[in-house]
Amino acid sequence: MSGLWEFLHQRGPTILECLGQHVYLTVIAMALAIGLAVPLGLVLTRTRRAATPVIAAIGVIQTLPSLALVGLMVPLLGAGPKACITALFLYALLPIVRNTYTGVMGVEPAMIEAARGMGMTSSQILFRIELPLSVPVIMAGIRTSTIICVGIATLGGIVNAGGLGLLIWIGIDRSNDALIYEGAIPAMGLALLLDGLLALGERAFTPKGFQLARQEDREAV
Amino acid sequence: MITFDHLSKTYPGGVEAVCDLSLEMIEGETLVLLGTSGSGKTTTMKMVNRLIDPTSGRILIDDSDVMEIDPIELRRKIGYAIQHIGLFPHMTVADNVAVVPKLLAWPRARIGERVDELLGMVGLQPDDFRDRYPSQLSGGQKQRVGVARALAADPPIVLMDEPFGALDPITREQLQNEFVELESEIQKTIIFVTHDVFEAVKMADRIALLDAGRLQQLATPAELVESPANEFVDQFLGQHRFQLSLLTTTLGSLADQLDIASGQPVKTGRRLHARSSLIDALDEFKKSRRRELPVYRRGQFMGNLRKESLLTLIARSLGEAGEPS
Repeated sequence: MSGLWEFLHQRGPTILECLGQHVYLTVIAMALAIGLAVPLGLVLTRTRRAATPVIAAIGVIQTLPSLALVGLMVPLLGAGPKACITALFLYALLPIVRNTYTGVMGVEPAMIEAARGMGMTSSQILFRIELPLSVPVIMAGIRTSTIICVGIATLGGIVNAGGLGLLIWIGIDRSNDALIYEGAIPAMGLALLLDGLLALGERAFTPKGFQLARQEDREAV
Repeated sequence: MITFDHLSKTYPGGVEAVCDLSLEMIEGETLVLLGTSGSGKTTTMKMVNRLIDPTSGRILIDDSDVMEIDPIELRRKIGYAIQHIGLFPHMTVADNVAVVPKLLAWPRARIGERVDELLGMVGLQPDDFRDRYPSQLSGGQKQRVGVARALAADPPIVLMDEPFGALDPITREQLQNEFVELESEIQKTIIFVTHDVFEAVKMADRIALLDAGRLQQLATPAELVESPANEFVDQFLGQHRFQLSLLTTTLGSLADQLDIASGQPVKTGRRLHARSSLIDALDEFKKSRRRELPVYRRGQFMGNLRKESLLTLIARSLGEAGEPS
């Protein structure tokens, strides 16, 4: 126990600082990505012709190796948090756009027709029916993106953006396994923690009656 | 009030769903669009509230072409109850019923009152059901909420697309009976779509029988059953002719053939009416276990009907409608 205490006393502040930077990179990138991707996904459900090409184009970003993407941002934005956040943001878009789009498109057609037949406008149908009913699918996309971001944010270590990646990169450089663990373990913990928080968010945002209905469906299966 | 004027709908790809349909509805009637799947009955109904636009022809409501009315405005004035219920799972019963009143921006208090009134009307205790979610209701209860929702803003016209289709036979019959009763109180013009000929006969003032988008016959249930307009109608009724005629034939229409003993009404708690169908009469005899029951027309005693005379009459009609003679 005293060994652990000593370790935390010595290394704790450094790890905490890196963890703080890591959270900063991830949270800012995710906030920007959600802010763009959810509305974009919703707009695509109203302009369906554009959906396939737009989603495909965003998918192309995903095929670019993350290391290359982060590297390419440096000449554009300079080394530092900006380059790293931009790369994370681009990476986080696809799961959210895709899930928002498929979530809304997946709402039962009978439900939409009932809403239309009662005289709801297209935007009333979107905000009163489609959006509340696709919360679980949209949140699943956000959770996927968050976990991807926490992982890729470790590349911040090589573009002078800080974060837990810094410890890992130094560890690799010096062949020091302990340093790699110092970066990797908190990153894993962070991914699990954020995923857990988002799961709570999902519960909070999913309308109660819909949760009950989904529960019933699961039990029926 | 609602007029279909040479209405046609051809879907892209050339499928003729509805072909040159003309008919005029009577205010306050329940018109059943009856037909098999692909007959065009649902397409016809959905053109009324512009969920589908016609290829040619017109639908007039009170002399105005629906194509010239803003679809959103139009739909808010027409009640709509659909197949598979279509209740919104994330809204409470009260919120589901209140959808159209909310769209019409009714004051809150009025919406609350109206919701309670409607729930009472469809046989659901408001205090018990208001705050439940659809997943906490049985199939029959959901369907009742669906009916209440369609009536919420008190629309003069109501469209119902197989609203009782997803129910078990017992609940279904119960809801049909209740709806017939409710319908006679609320006096709406109703277009009711079904593929079930028994349901049609039960609900309809008039039945429009469709096949492949074409109107085959427009008639009251009794006329349809007694005098089919063509071979298709005859075949459609098919083996159900006998049962259907028991449903559509009323004691009143057979008064001259019935051996109704006059004199004093037999003393019993039960009575038959001139408008009772032969099935109703059989049912009453079975329930009451009497050999004779009094028949009334608008409260006036007509005579006593003996069970044997009823059975003889039914046996006689068998030769005409039931078996291949």
